[in-house]
Amino acid sequence: MTQHKSASGRFGYFAKGAQALALAVAVCFSIGATDASSRYNNLNHRLMCTCGCAEILGECNHVGCQSSGQELAELNAFIADNKSDEDIFTAFSGKYGATVLAAPTTKGFDLVAWVAPFAVFAAAMLGTVLLIRRWSEGKAQAAAGPSDPSTDALREKIRRETDAGDDGGY
Amino acid sequence: MTPTLGLICGALLLIGTFVYTFWPENVFASQRVKTRLDYLLERKEQLYENLRDLSFEHRAGKYPEEDFLNQRALLENETAQLLAEIETLQQA
Amino acid sequence: MATFGSFALIIALALAAYNLLAGAVALRLLATGQPAPISPERLADTARRAGIAGFVAISGAAFALIWSVFTNDFSITYIMEHSNRALPGMYKFSALWSGQEGSLLLWAWLLGIYGFVLRLTHKRDVTLYAYAGAILAAVQVFFLAILNFAAPPFALFRGAIPEDGNGLNPLLQYPEMVIHPPMLYLGYVGFCIPFCFALGALMMRYPGEKWIRITRVWTMVTWLFLTCGIFLGMHWAYAVLGWGGYWGWDPVENASFMPWLTGTAFLHSVMMQEKKGMMKSWNVWLIFTTFLLTLLGTLLTRAGLVSSVHAFAQSSIGTWFVIFMGIVLAVCIFTYIYQRSHLKSEHRVESLVSRESSFLFNNLVLLAACFVILWGTLFPVLSEYVVGNKVTMGAPWYNTVAIPIGLFLLLLTGVGPLLPWRSTSMKSIRRNFILPVAVLWGTVIICLAFGVRPWKDGAFDSGDFYALVAFSLSTSVLSAILSEFVRGAGVISKQTGRNFFTAVWLLTRRNTRRYGGYIIHIGVVIVVVGLAGAAFNKNVESEMALHDKMVIGTYTLENVGFTQDSNLNYNSEFAQLDVYKDGKKLFQMTPEKRVYLASQQPQTMVAIHSVPGWDLYIVYEGTNASTGQPIIKAFLNPLVSWIWAGVVILVFGTFVALFPSLLPSTAALRVPARSAPVEPALTGGAQ
Repeated sequence: MTQHKSASGRFGYFAKGAQALALAVAVCFSIGATDASSRYNNLNHRLMCTCGCAEILGECNHVGCQSSGQELAELNAFIADNKSDEDIFTAFSGKYGATVLAAPTTKGFDLVAWVAPFAVFAAAMLGTVLLIRRWSEGKAQAAAGPSDPSTDALREKIRRETDAGDDGGY
Repeated sequence: MTPTLGLICGALLLIGTFVYTFWPENVFASQRVKTRLDYLLERKEQLYENLRDLSFEHRAGKYPEEDFLNQRALLENETAQLLAEIETLQQA
Repeated sequence: MATFGSFALIIALALAAYNLLAGAVALRLLATGQPAPISPERLADTARRAGIAGFVAISGAAFALIWSVFTNDFSITYIMEHSNRALPGMYKFSALWSGQEGSLLLWAWLLGIYGFVLRLTHKRDVTLYAYAGAILAAVQVFFLAILNFAAPPFALFRGAIPEDGNGLNPLLQYPEMVIHPPMLYLGYVGFCIPFCFALGALMMRYPGEKWIRITRVWTMVTWLFLTCGIFLGMHWAYAVLGWGGYWGWDPVENASFMPWLTGTAFLHSVMMQEKKGMMKSWNVWLIFTTFLLTLLGTLLTRAGLVSSVHAFAQSSIGTWFVIFMGIVLAVCIFTYIYQRSHLKSEHRVESLVSRESSFLFNNLVLLAACFVILWGTLFPVLSEYVVGNKVTMGAPWYNTVAIPIGLFLLLLTGVGPLLPWRSTSMKSIRRNFILPVAVLWGTVIICLAFGVRPWKDGAFDSGDFYALVAFSLSTSVLSAILSEFVRGAGVISKQTGRNFFTAVWLLTRRNTRRYGGYIIHIGVVIVVVGLAGAAFNKNVESEMALHDKMVIGTYTLENVGFTQDSNLNYNSEFAQLDVYKDGKKLFQMTPEKRVYLASQQPQTMVAIHSVPGWDLYIVYEGTNASTGQPIIKAFLNPLVSWIWAGVVILVFGTFVALFPSLLPSTAALRVPARSAPVEPALTGGAQ
């Protein structure tokens, strides 16, 4: 727990803001499930089977799998008890370890897993935009300057060799 | 295959590859040093291609007239400088 | 055969080492012009011949392993562990890649094949090929050293030789598995070739950009193999694993996807270098990264760093890979720093809204996607290291993070070709974007009208939202690409008087690379539509006694039989299900479960009925232990066949792009014999 606190402490306000954003996204993504069966289906796709098959709980189809049946039964019981998603995930990770959750939580160091890709992507996009803007400064009106009269004959030749009239068509 | 036969086959492979690698062949490919002129001619080919593409895209309706004339002048100036250098090198 | 195989591997290693050393010495002599007792050209040619002879030796080793599988030589540990007598002939080939030692041998063999072709075609550019050949030999030395010292495929079984082997992993006993791994490996290993050319071109300060044209075919063929390998893997996962999906974000899948992303970025950005002399450093690093990612992928899955359903037994070869990657990275960094003056751009991007910048953003998004996957693959290791807490990065995480990036990439696919080079005016934007934007909004309205709505019962539905965006963007991008064909063909039709279809043909032949690329983009769009269909997947699971019925979508399934079968290789159980629609019997499906005798492992054989709109996908999940009745799981997966159709179009597009264009060439372009050298450092370098 101490490690979690120190990890989130290091990120300060940015981490809190990002956490709020990630939570908002998570809430957005979870409010679709309304009735019990779709909630069951939704939740069993956010948990892992713990038999070692590395498959999503709702998709594990091993014959006689020792883990998925029990986990699904527990999930059904939790849903019947009207437990919240968070309570269910806490109970599962308490019993099976954090790897039973198919995606990291949005707390502590786990938050980095969610934030880093978007942060890197945004930073790269922003960096590129700024770089191109710097390059294009002074070239906004990328107009052809006055051409050197001594190369007129060459330009004429180029036009002849590349224009539609010759073979430039296709 | 017995180990002895395996060894014999291995030895044959060794001799074969050795002979092939070090066979005293006197005809082998070599290359003259690429010159600046070669390089400029390659660039010319590319710039011509760019000009033809520009012209084609214009006729396909992708460029408004003023954009096209401007882009063509830019490319033609660049190509003309290149051709001038080619001519100088060819006359040398 | 074990003796011959081991001997052949040693010979191959010695030849690769000679190729590397003699090649490096010859190139150094050529570059510096130092006097030597042997002509550098002659020495370089013996190095090249050693490379060709090395291919013969490694082929001998591969042949020895295949021969041993077919003759059931269980005195070789590898054969004992990965084959058995009853294994059908077709799958005996699969034994070559079913275990670590064999797959490394396959890797080295494919590297040998690529090297063989490279060394035979050296006359195209002798010096560049000599550099590429020597670098390739260094990579071959590494793989052959592993095969000789760390993972020998011909190690003999200690103790009494068993009567029969352990058999092949049942997951590999499927026809596609005979093609998928070699395809994937051809792609994976193949990226070594453009890497060797790029590094060689940098070392020798190759004048101009012609090396890109020389390596284009190599890069595209490699990319094609990797693409086919990935999609064959997806199809295999879909047809064999029986969970109704095709992509599980497994570390091994990710490992093959990462170099694909950077390789795709490279294929796009080299065009900028070739056409405009831009992004030279970027391209060099893209191909360096791609090659390093192929090594990292191997390290990730072979060294047991991350858990995967594909991972082979953990072993010490992880250390070998770490050291080799370190050496490769060091060589890349050193060469880059030493030769960076050679990579100065001739132009820079002049406007945010131009074809150049769209290429740049396309590259950025592809790299961002690669970073996301790398991050997702490595975060469990990082989390365990930093806070001592191992986490799972499963499909929910990847879908949340990767789908928006993927859709952004799709958007750029459509925008890029519509933008002119250098800079653009508002008038031009309006002219080129009216149609795609109109199609986009038209599709949004049609999708909303047909029930693809991101809000259902007042709640946000992410699946429908992404599907809506994907469908709309897809039609928009498709309209943009098709308008390119229509406009181009219009010009040709007007100029030549030919009909529209002939004009499209002529247009494509005029610039196969561009229009082949557009066809590839059409394939990608079709694949995206197929992927978006997953938002509407349905499934039902139930125990079915004789004549029990199950309803899924518009289909009704009736169990009309439940039977067993067996042969020398496996025992099987399967259900016979009659499929009805509107009360009329259409066909019968027989999902099956096999238990392989040698390995005693079960395997699903999914029954799939595919139509353009959806797949009816039936899994036989086994029998209920208490009732003895079969358990059937049925899926209705919309638009899956679009994915495979898209891939076919993509492959076709790549073949078109591989064809030489019929661009007009000028007689004046012929190279004259006399003139001054380009620059003093032309043949110098950091060899």
